[in-house]
Amino acid sequence: MKIIKFAFAVLLCTSIISCSSDDDNNTTDLTGQTGTLALKFDNGVGDQDFIFGVTYNKSNGESYQLETLKYIISNIRVKDAEGNTFTYPLENNAFIIDESNGNNAGEIFVTLDNVDAADYTEITFGIGIDQERFAMGAEGQGDFLVEAEAAGMMWSWATGYKFTRFDGTFSTGELVDEPLNIHMGSVGTSLDNYREVTLSFPNTVRVRETASPEVHIKADFAKVFDGETSVNFADGYGQVHTSSETTPVIANNLPGMFEVHHVHNN
Amino acid sequence: MKKIIVIMFLQVFVLSCSKDQEVGYVPVPLALEAPSNFPELTYNLDNNPLTEAGFELGKSLFYEGKLSVNDAIPCAFCHEQAFAFTHHGHNLSHGVDGAIGLRNSLPIQNLAFLNEFMWDGAATHLDMQPIIPITSHLEMGETIGNVVEKLKSDPNYQQQFERAFEDGAVNAANMLKALSQFMVMMVSSNSKYDKYVRNEDDVTLSAMELDGLQTFENKCASCHATDLFTDQTYRDNGLPINPQLDDKGRFDIFEDPNDLYKFRVPSLRNVEKSYPYMHDGRFQTLEAVLDFYDHGMVENGNVDPILLREDQTYGISLDAYEKESLIAFLKTLTDNEFLTDERFSEY
Repeated sequence: MKIIKFAFAVLLCTSIISCSSDDDNNTTDLTGQTGTLALKFDNGVGDQDFIFGVTYNKSNGESYQLETLKYIISNIRVKDAEGNTFTYPLENNAFIIDESNGNNAGEIFVTLDNVDAADYTEITFGIGIDQERFAMGAEGQGDFLVEAEAAGMMWSWATGYKFTRFDGTFSTGELVDEPLNIHMGSVGTSLDNYREVTLSFPNTVRVRETASPEVHIKADFAKVFDGETSVNFADGYGQVHTSSETTPVIANNLPGMFEVHHVHNN
Repeated sequence: MKKIIVIMFLQVFVLSCSKDQEVGYVPVPLALEAPSNFPELTYNLDNNPLTEAGFELGKSLFYEGKLSVNDAIPCAFCHEQAFAFTHHGHNLSHGVDGAIGLRNSLPIQNLAFLNEFMWDGAATHLDMQPIIPITSHLEMGETIGNVVEKLKSDPNYQQQFERAFEDGAVNAANMLKALSQFMVMMVSSNSKYDKYVRNEDDVTLSAMELDGLQTFENKCASCHATDLFTDQTYRDNGLPINPQLDDKGRFDIFEDPNDLYKFRVPSLRNVEKSYPYMHDGRFQTLEAVLDFYDHGMVENGNVDPILLREDQTYGISLDAYEKESLIAFLKTLTDNEFLTDERFSEY
């Protein structure tokens, strides 16, 4: 009997708690409220921090070191528990993640302002620039075009963005310190190398006028060469530019780089 | 003394008034109608509505040396109106500090109806095309960012951008839009041939021109298709490779062996004026071009099968009269209204 009473009390408690939490959601009207959401990109290689000039090994014994590590992120959008999606405004929704702009911990911040207040559960973003935006011409590029140009993320012999700039050297069993350049992008309308990735948050990201959460996104650079497909520098993957054969392989490896490591609800 | 002050006051007032009227966004729409014998427009005007001020700004930019690193090479340097906006007489285009480009400059005409640009299709949107010559170290050698900074510090351009765009900003997007507005308006559609096919002004073709048209339709029009005179594909037409240039054409875009030595089928409008011919300007006359098609082709490894003759050689057989009449026909594609149209002229 005592147990039943106890159980009843617990049930009551639970229902009150869940009730109150429901109430909280229903009564706290977030309409019109916005906040700031910060994304921290943290490049690494496997379980190591990424550091310029350090030699990293691939699964097949080949190795590489980088002097440049940049990639384009765009079309960031977040979804809340109810399935509503907030998309950051197109004209500002393209970013260059440049390792050399990182803080001492190697973290690169993308700060999104005026994000609708909500409890977000997942994030989606693109790697590169999508074909629809490119097809809008000058209208779709805005000031990002000049930003990308200044960062060396545009081709001059053709019109288009380099989605990635991974520059350094590689070594194989036979070759030593050969130039490594992974400048992958979409080319024209027939080669679309834009890819998207969707990541769930390990806990809810609460954006409020008074709360500016930080999402810590880890990017494992090793996946560029050892991702969905493992590629060999010896087979020409030390130089990837516009080839319709090699670029999609690298493009398909990129989404696998990213994971949300943790979230700070500040 | 009082009077003077009043007059000065008045002057300031009048001046500021007129300045207000001059500066500021007043969109006067420009109409662009596709000629009845043309395919549909491909350029999306919704993203870049044509206005008088936008067109005028685009024209200023087209003739502006500041778009190049030494402030001396405008777009018009390699695109002269009298020669269908090509680099008159040069086989290869010239650039900053005496640099020599790799290809012959293409005419600027009817670009609003094309889907890709450049000899190899390196540009897939007209707005983005100018980035290639502006940033190429063999052409204008600049950066878009730097061009924008130069224009920003020029009061004349500040005013022109204010008039041309609602946000009035001197930036890359507006600069490229203005250049497109100018180029989109450059329609060549009033040649003798056009007036003939549209039954305008009682224009007729001579017997020889009609024979040339007949030969053209039989032997040329499958590639130089529609009244744009291009099917907008890339083909290897069997030109002997120039080892000095070793230009692999569209191969450079996708590194696809199927694209080796392929170049865009060019329009033939104003072809009489746009010499020299081919991607490297190797032929100075139309006679040389037709002789090449008749007996100059070589198997360079990827020649378009459409050019294979029954005797297993490559070429398009043309007798002397066919050549003569073809050239007579091609000259009916010369559009003097376009070549002298003051809307597109520097002065």
